Amino acid sequence: MKAQGASSDPLEILLARLLHHGTMAASGLIAAGLALSLVSGPMGMGMSIATAGIALFILLPALRVATMLIFFLRARDYRYGAIAGLVLLIISISFFVGTR
Amino acid sequence: MPIGLELWLFAVALGTSMLGGVLGMASGIFIVPILTVFGRLDIHSAIGASLISVIACSCASAAPFLKERLTHIRLAILLETATTSGALCGVFLAGLVPTNYLFLLFASILLLSAQQMLARRKDRDDSSSVRRLPLGMTLMYGAGLISALLGIGSGVLKIPAMDTALRLPIKVSSATSNFMIGVTAAASAAAYFARGEIVTSLAAPIALGSVLGALLGARILMKVPNEKLRLMFIAILVILALQMALVGFGINLIGPRS
Repeated sequence: MKAQGASSDPLEILLARLLHHGTMAASGLIAAGLALSLVSGPMGMGMSIATAGIALFILLPALRVATMLIFFLRARDYRYGAIAGLVLLIISISFFVGTR
Repeated sequence: MPIGLELWLFAVALGTSMLGGVLGMASGIFIVPILTVFGRLDIHSAIGASLISVIACSCASAAPFLKERLTHIRLAILLETATTSGALCGVFLAGLVPTNYLFLLFASILLLSAQQMLARRKDRDDSSSVRRLPLGMTLMYGAGLISALLGIGSGVLKIPAMDTALRLPIKVSSATSNFMIGVTAAASAAAYFARGEIVTSLAAPIALGSVLGALLGARILMKVPNEKLRLMFIAILVILALQMALVGFGINLIGPRS
C-alpha cells in the first residue's frame, strides 16, 4: 500500500522549521552586525549586516506565505493557493508603494 | 552611537516581549509608549522599530504552537487577506494622520486592551452558534489598519474577532492570532523599510531583545501566578494610556520633548 504524499512533511512542520531557522538566521545576522559595529565603529560594515538581518525578519513572514502557496498548489488545493497568492501580492504591493 | 541606548532598547524589548508572551499580548503595545514617553523618540521611528519587534516575537514563538497543531493555518491565511489589506491602507494613512492624533489613538487602544484584560476571555459552550465570517473579516481589516498606523500587533482587535465572531477555543485563537501578527506587521514593515523609515540602530537591539524575550516568555507561561500580574498590567496599561493621551495634548510629564 502506498501512502499518498508521503514524501512531504505536513504543512505545520514545514512552517515551524522555516520560522525557527529563519528567526535564528536573522537574529544571528543582527547580533554579528551589532558586535562588528561595536568593534569597528558605526561607519563600518556592521550596520549593513544588521540591516540585512532586519530585512530578513521582514521577509520571513512573506517566505512563510510563499511556502504555504507552494504547498497548496502541490496539494492541488487551488482555492487556498489563490488566497495565499493574494496575501503575497498585497505584501509585495506594500513594498513597492514604499519604494516610490 | 552610545552603547547605553542599545542596551536600554534591548532590555525594553526583552522585558516587554517576555511579558507579552506571558499575558498573550504583542510587545508593540508596550514598546511604542515606552520609547516615545520615556525614551523621547519620535513616534514614527518608534513605530518602525516596534513592527520589527512584533514580527520577531511572532516568528520566534510560532514553532511550538504549530507543532502542537494549535494554529488554524487555513483560517489564518484567509483572515490575512483582510489584515494585510488593512495594513496596506494604514501605510497610506500613516503619513497623513497628525502625530498628536496617533498618540490619542494609541491611548484609546491601550484603554481598550485594559478593558479586555479586565473582562477576561471565556470559552463559550453554546456550540450551536454560527460563525460570523464577514464580521470577523471586518474586525481583521481594522486590526491590520491599526497595526500599520501604530506599530502594534493589534491583538486587541484580533482576539475579539476570533473569540466572538469566529467562536474558536482560546488556545487556538491565541496561536492563530500570534501566527497572523507576523504577516500583518510584515505587510506594513515592508513599506516602511522601503521608505527608509526603519532605523537599524533602534530596530536591531529591539529585534534581538524581542526574540530572547519571546522564547523566555513561552517557557515561564505556565509557572507565573497570573492573577496579580494581570491586575498589575491593567494598571500599567491605564497609566500608559493617560500618559500617551497627555502627550497627544502636548504635555509630557516624564520629561520635555526635544
